[in-house]
Amino acid sequence: MMKLEAIIQPSRFESVKDALREAGIEGMTVTEVRGHGRQKGHTEVYRGREYTVDLLPKIKLEMVLPDKLVNTVVDTILKTAKTGKIGDGKIFLTRVDEAIRIRNEERGESAL
Amino acid sequence: MAGPATPLSVLGAQCEDERARIRKNFEHGAGAKATLLALCELADRTLQLVFKDVLKLHESPADGLSLLALGGYGRRMLFPFSDLDILFLFANDKTEEEFRPLISEFSRTMWDLGFRVSSAGRTIDECKRIEEDNAEFHLALLDRRFLDGDAALFEKLDQRILPPSERTARPFLFSQLHRLTKERLGRYGNTIFHLEPNVKEAPGGLRDYQAAYWLRQIMGDRKDLRGSSAAEEQLAADAVEFLSSIRCFLHYSNARNDNALTYESQAEAAEKSLGMRGSAQRSAAEWMRIYFRHARTLNRQLLRYMDQKMAAPTSLRERFFSAARSVTKTPPPVTGDFAVRGGQIEVLNQQALSDRTIMYAMFAEAARTGTPLGREAERSISYVMTHSELPVLNQAIEWETLKEILAGDFPGVALRPMHRLGLLMEILPEFRAIDSLVVRDFYHRYTVDEHSLRTIEHLQELAEPPDERGVSFAPLWKTLDRRDLLIFALLLHDTGKGMPTDNHVQGSLEALETAARRLGLSAEEEAEVHFLIEQHLAMSATVQRRDIFDPSIVSGFAESVNTLERLQRLTLLTYADIHAVNPEALTPWKAEMLWQLFVATSNHFSRTLDRNRLHASDEKSMLEQVLALEKNAKQSDIERFLEGFPRRYLAVHSAAEIARHFALYQKLGAAPLQTELTAERHGFSLTLLTADRPALFSTISGVLAAWGMNIIKADAFANAAGVVLDTFHFTDMHRTLELNPTENDRFLKSLHDVLQNKAALEPLLQSRDTASRARPPKVAIQTRLSFDDSASAHSTLLEVIVQDRPGLLYDMGSALARLACNIEVALIDTEGQKAIDVFYLTAQGKKLTAQKQDLLREVLQGTLG
Repeated sequence: MMKLEAIIQPSRFESVKDALREAGIEGMTVTEVRGHGRQKGHTEVYRGREYTVDLLPKIKLEMVLPDKLVNTVVDTILKTAKTGKIGDGKIFLTRVDEAIRIRNEERGESAL
Repeated sequence: MAGPATPLSVLGAQCEDERARIRKNFEHGAGAKATLLALCELADRTLQLVFKDVLKLHESPADGLSLLALGGYGRRMLFPFSDLDILFLFANDKTEEEFRPLISEFSRTMWDLGFRVSSAGRTIDECKRIEEDNAEFHLALLDRRFLDGDAALFEKLDQRILPPSERTARPFLFSQLHRLTKERLGRYGNTIFHLEPNVKEAPGGLRDYQAAYWLRQIMGDRKDLRGSSAAEEQLAADAVEFLSSIRCFLHYSNARNDNALTYESQAEAAEKSLGMRGSAQRSAAEWMRIYFRHARTLNRQLLRYMDQKMAAPTSLRERFFSAARSVTKTPPPVTGDFAVRGGQIEVLNQQALSDRTIMYAMFAEAARTGTPLGREAERSISYVMTHSELPVLNQAIEWETLKEILAGDFPGVALRPMHRLGLLMEILPEFRAIDSLVVRDFYHRYTVDEHSLRTIEHLQELAEPPDERGVSFAPLWKTLDRRDLLIFALLLHDTGKGMPTDNHVQGSLEALETAARRLGLSAEEEAEVHFLIEQHLAMSATVQRRDIFDPSIVSGFAESVNTLERLQRLTLLTYADIHAVNPEALTPWKAEMLWQLFVATSNHFSRTLDRNRLHASDEKSMLEQVLALEKNAKQSDIERFLEGFPRRYLAVHSAAEIARHFALYQKLGAAPLQTELTAERHGFSLTLLTADRPALFSTISGVLAAWGMNIIKADAFANAAGVVLDTFHFTDMHRTLELNPTENDRFLKSLHDVLQNKAALEPLLQSRDTASRARPPKVAIQTRLSFDDSASAHSTLLEVIVQDRPGLLYDMGSALARLACNIEVALIDTEGQKAIDVFYLTAQGKKLTAQKQDLLREVLQGTLG
């Protein structure tokens, strides 16, 4: 099992979510986050006040996947989240040792 | 030989049979009250049997031990899966120690028989002391009922110990109950209109009834107690019966003490016509409307009792000085049919309420000042509203009157009680479609009408934002033009959800059409509200689905919004709409994204002001409208007038205003300076047309400053033929024009004389200078000057942020004129003590050179500080 964490542009979230649903992925955790990589923020001035956005708003998706679905999900996210500009985001994969369903204590991939 | 039968073997089966019988009766139509009583009697009988058995087993008489029922059990309102709240009352500590094993066995046996015992033990001495750490216990003790044991001990507590303690502690108990109730109501957002309410704990639930009952008991035999009428008591009894039915149903369905009226439960309850004997089946939404009606009854009853004050005990010294003060105290001013007393609006003349203009005036006062109506005032209005046989005068509200309410600083303070009393639906029948309307939605927490009222309340709280989310938006709300249109849009924006249409926006627009026609909105006003309703989801969608840092997205959005004023209203509408979905919907992240889009779009408007110019022949619709108003005009003349104005000119002026400007333009041949002075809601506006010339803008500003006028907003445009159209909105600081209407002509003459070089400006300015100097600012604003050569193809943008003061625009305009800078376009605005001025400048027909910009910066810095 793998945990997939993806940081994407907020404007791409709906498309990514729809595409993942079509790919059969129903479960995910979504968080509103702020951050930056190479895409630096910018400063907007409004009525004399500076609004510096150095931590840009992003969406973080997290999901734990059976091994056989990882490549499909990565490809889906790459296809739908990409705009080609700096700031598109990143995907991280880490191995998961165990998953347990709280309701009935099911373990392993069947708990996903 | 078999021993005596134990409670378990004898009673267990009997209890189960009896519970099943009670349940069956309930499900076959037995009332809630009868069901609760039957459950209570079952518990009483069982408890008494078990208690006797346990006493026999321990060979112990009950001397020094009483069993008391408390809370709902004490009131004989025992729900199927509620706990039995029992108090073990001991004569003293020794008795408590002696009975401990017996009580353990008793409790275990009761649990084994399926009764969830929730017990407390107190000695009789401990019950005397009423203090903060045991306030909730003493409130539960108000419902005490003897079950079994030492009757004399109970009588001592009930008749001799508690009555004097409770009398002395009345103010304390009242304040504690008040505090606990306020906390509970606050946890549920102080509203009954939850989509899946908790029928016990939420406002309008059974706890409200319980709390009102306790408040009435605490207040006891006070002569000034405003009690309920017989009709109100019956309404409350019906409400309790209805909600109790729901709670029984939920307990049986869930097989536990779960009081959440979920969507599934609502559907099931509606199907069974729960709580409605012999009534035709209704949809879940209709059934929930009945629920909310009952919830409203219980909540209003509770709030009325909570409003009644309990005097704290005073010492002799305090009473003496209070009496001395009251002799000299001046009674509060009383005028007309209502007055403000004790921070509430009270009715003085009940009969006057038959005239709706009196009611509207009360609500206008509430909206203007934030002063709520007192409960008795609401009761009086409710009486008038619910007795249709009473005569009604002036029922139809005029738009000008409704505007007073909508445009106030506290519109929610008026609109919420207006809705509660049925007055809002009377003047806006379109709102009826969403009254108590449940629309099943994962995100929305409230009924549709509640959501709409909350949007308005979230805006009014921007006067003092409660948290970081509103801080950026607060100045927008405080300086917003035509608030009434925004509030009106919020009232109507979701009315379509109560109509049989797939697209609720379309339904809401239809509601606007009928409302606007009936109330008499102007075409321009209706168009503004139409835009807000039609686009009320657009900004949120842009924030969520588009890259708001992409200039092309911002540009496209700006085009759809068209003017800065619309952007401001739409931004506030979006802020409020998201905020009112549920308490967590507007995250700081979302608020910031919304603000970023607003800033980017606002700056886009400023930076493209000069770029987007009118090609008059393309504006067919506007030409037709102006021609219709100026019947003797030629289209070519109108085109010549409009040609080259910034596009903003069309966006911020109605066809009627443009027609008037055109009429003035036509007179320029005869008189080269045309002016129009108009009184507005908060000041005046001056429109001026003339041929462009150096220092024109600064001269006009100077005359205004000399007359003590404070310029709030201004637009300065020029068309392709070099005709300038300047509009100044200003306040009359010394009320010269307001108090002396004849001064209007003298003011205009003064302006004409100065502009036509018949009089000098400097003497006028000097006479005002001393008077208006040096009132220290409340908020210090740092001066900022920024130049931008990329905003326009042929002029330089200068943005000035500076401390506002009288004469500021004259000083700036003079500095620009001295340096031979021509103002192509100016956009002047004020935000509190901050002046925000945008100029598009040229020098000798071109952008300002770098040297010119530096020099101008130096001069302005010196002038403005």
